[in-house]
Amino acid sequence: MNGETAGLRRWFEDYLAAFNRADFPAFGAYYAPDIVFHGQAAQLIGRDAVLAFYHQVHSHLQERIELLSFVGAPDGSRIAAELHTTLLALRDWPDMPTGSMRAGDTRMRVSFAMYEIADGRFTRIRTARFSPLHGQAA
Amino acid sequence: MTPEVRFRDYMQAFNASDWKALRDYYAPDVRLVIGNGTELNGRDAILAFYGKVKRQTRRTIEVVQCFADGQTLAAEIESEFLAVEDVPDFAVRPMAKGDRYYLNSFVFYDFEGEHYTRIRAATFRREFRPAAAS
Repeated sequence: MNGETAGLRRWFEDYLAAFNRADFPAFGAYYAPDIVFHGQAAQLIGRDAVLAFYHQVHSHLQERIELLSFVGAPDGSRIAAELHTTLLALRDWPDMPTGSMRAGDTRMRVSFAMYEIADGRFTRIRTARFSPLHGQAA
Repeated sequence: MTPEVRFRDYMQAFNASDWKALRDYYAPDVRLVIGNGTELNGRDAILAFYGKVKRQTRRTIEVVQCFADGQTLAAEIESEFLAVEDVPDFAVRPMAKGDRYYLNSFVFYDFEGEHYTRIRAATFRREFRPAAAS
């Protein structure tokens, strides 16, 4: 990280902090109205669709994301991040898109994510799985 | 030379199968982990791996985007492998002559000076394009 991207990193870390405390208004403010979202579990268009998806996720799971590596474009238009995600199932979710989970199950993965940014909001988010899923049954 | 320009030169050397030039981009103890979980340690292992892939397939890489921050460069690359022979033991899946395999990958390159010290790739999108369908 260099001086030009230190502010971008803080902005991104604030986003992850809001996501981890399930502060929907705070992390939702990072999404452009017409955001394109290619996640591991869903492909969506629009802020409302992304937030609805995360409402569904958070009703079943506790999701925590840790930033492992950060690469910011000096012009602030893009971020590449290595993320460690931990999922804890709060209740049974047999239809979980990336594989069923039972209450108490945990699942972890490392992903690489690309964020495109315009006017201070994410316009596209894409994630690719780096490590195989591993987890622990309740 | 910026890390971005250097990276595009590296990819050009890769597409040209210029092994002598490629060698100079890697630290002697470079570590590479590619999207299918294969881990290679040391530049000799990497060059041997890519040499085999290149004998079996014609691979072209296009840089979609790249940007560096500190000692890491992030890149999105598109690769297409065209099997020039039957390759039952291809790294990703068995290929028949004429088959194509497309990958879109996100890659992190850690570097020190002019050498890549660690490379890690994750596959965002993959598509098998059998010869019979083209």
